[in-house]
Amino acid sequence: MSDFFAHGIDWLLSSMDGYILPLTKATAITLSLAFVSLIVGMFFAFIFTILESVPFKPVAWLMSLFNLTIRALPELLIVVAIYTGLPLLLMALDDGFTIPFGFTSFTVKMNIENTQPDPFLCGVFALSLLYAVYASQTLRGAFKAIPSGQKQAAQVLGLSKSRTFFRIIMPQMWRHALPGLSNQWLILLKDTALVSAIAIDDLMMQTKTIVARTNQPFLWYFIAMLVYLVISVLSQRVIAHIEKRSTKFEQPSSANSQ
Amino acid sequence: MSDNFIYYLKIILQGLPDTLSLSIAGILSAGFLAIVFSCLLSLNSKFLTKTIRGYIVIFTGSPLLVQLFLIYYGPSQFGEILSKVPAFYEFISSPWFCAYLALTLNSAAYTTQIFYGALKAVPQGQWQACSALGMNKRQTLKIVMPYALKRALSTYSNEVVFVVKGTALASMIPVMDLMGYSNTLNGEYYDFSIFVVAGLIYLLINGILSTIMRIIEKKALTFEN
Repeated sequence: MSDFFAHGIDWLLSSMDGYILPLTKATAITLSLAFVSLIVGMFFAFIFTILESVPFKPVAWLMSLFNLTIRALPELLIVVAIYTGLPLLLMALDDGFTIPFGFTSFTVKMNIENTQPDPFLCGVFALSLLYAVYASQTLRGAFKAIPSGQKQAAQVLGLSKSRTFFRIIMPQMWRHALPGLSNQWLILLKDTALVSAIAIDDLMMQTKTIVARTNQPFLWYFIAMLVYLVISVLSQRVIAHIEKRSTKFEQPSSANSQ
Repeated sequence: MSDNFIYYLKIILQGLPDTLSLSIAGILSAGFLAIVFSCLLSLNSKFLTKTIRGYIVIFTGSPLLVQLFLIYYGPSQFGEILSKVPAFYEFISSPWFCAYLALTLNSAAYTTQIFYGALKAVPQGQWQACSALGMNKRQTLKIVMPYALKRALSTYSNEVVFVVKGTALASMIPVMDLMGYSNTLNGEYYDFSIFVVAGLIYLLINGILSTIMRIIEKKALTFEN
């Protein structure tokens, strides 16, 4: 029996030989894509949340409509459409199609370099957009979960509006937002596999390349699955730890009532 | 412009049957599997619970795309053995079936989480009332399950939309669904409005599905308020 196992491990190692390094690199790309998208996505999410709670109703409605639309579209469609659409948009801008926006100068600078943006950037853009539409819902819920008494108390103490938000409201928001946000992080992690459709050399793409070379699809896709699984399970561990810390100060009675 | 639109629409709509059949078949079988798994989980058998928990971790912890590729491309590694049973090999290597299998297994894992969560959220009194009446496990589940499923409906409707969105991945193993035709068109014409057309169709499908789910939910919970 042990002989059989030793044989199996030998076979596995010999077939892994030379592919571990590219696979590790690809995993690093997948992870960096996910992390960058998370950070950019959080930024977008805050903007979306603010736009959705603007007192001027048409803006809020448009934002809700946008959210609903993105959430109803397949992720793959969004990734591919952004990859196709951005160059077309840049080309249109390059042809002298300028709208007097505040950030036109930024776009003009990009189309001077080339009209085909880096696939990685497209991937980050698409993934962070997907993350942001879901995360903004969570943030909105968390914002509403803070009793208005907190805001009033801050007002009574004479704190400015921004100070109230950053020092009083936001620290309390995290506790409510964390479960939702971490769930969306796990979804984001899995959605990164989609960017292999737009020529980013991520874990999925690298696995495809290796499969084409070795002709062992089952082994390699299984290994890719395991890598994703390990990343997911590890992040779940880390998230559980963070959640425990962020709810440490709660009374046990309120921790029990789910 | 509008001519192009109609031309694209005509071609992309050829993929509608595959998208719809995958979605409906996937949703129904995943729902059925999830009910079975939730019942098995509630039996509290150590072995069954561990197996199903493992299955859920694997299928919710890895991307649907990897599962799809593993199911579609994986068996060809054992082609020599499988080619001895050509009928079976042909059957499991048909793209539609692989997409269906991957979607079902993936969605069933998520749906089991939803259904079992709802089952556990049923007030203890319900279980106790059943056991007070001398019901066995099967009879109890028959009473409690519909009660739990009704409460799971609002979360479940999200999962239904996720299945429809997931069918788009089938275009990456050659299933010619809405996304598949859009990609082909895009390769030919390189036009953004192709994706606008495809997006509108997906929006329509998901809009209709969500409405249906909301009606079902309303009907199911009608006596509650």
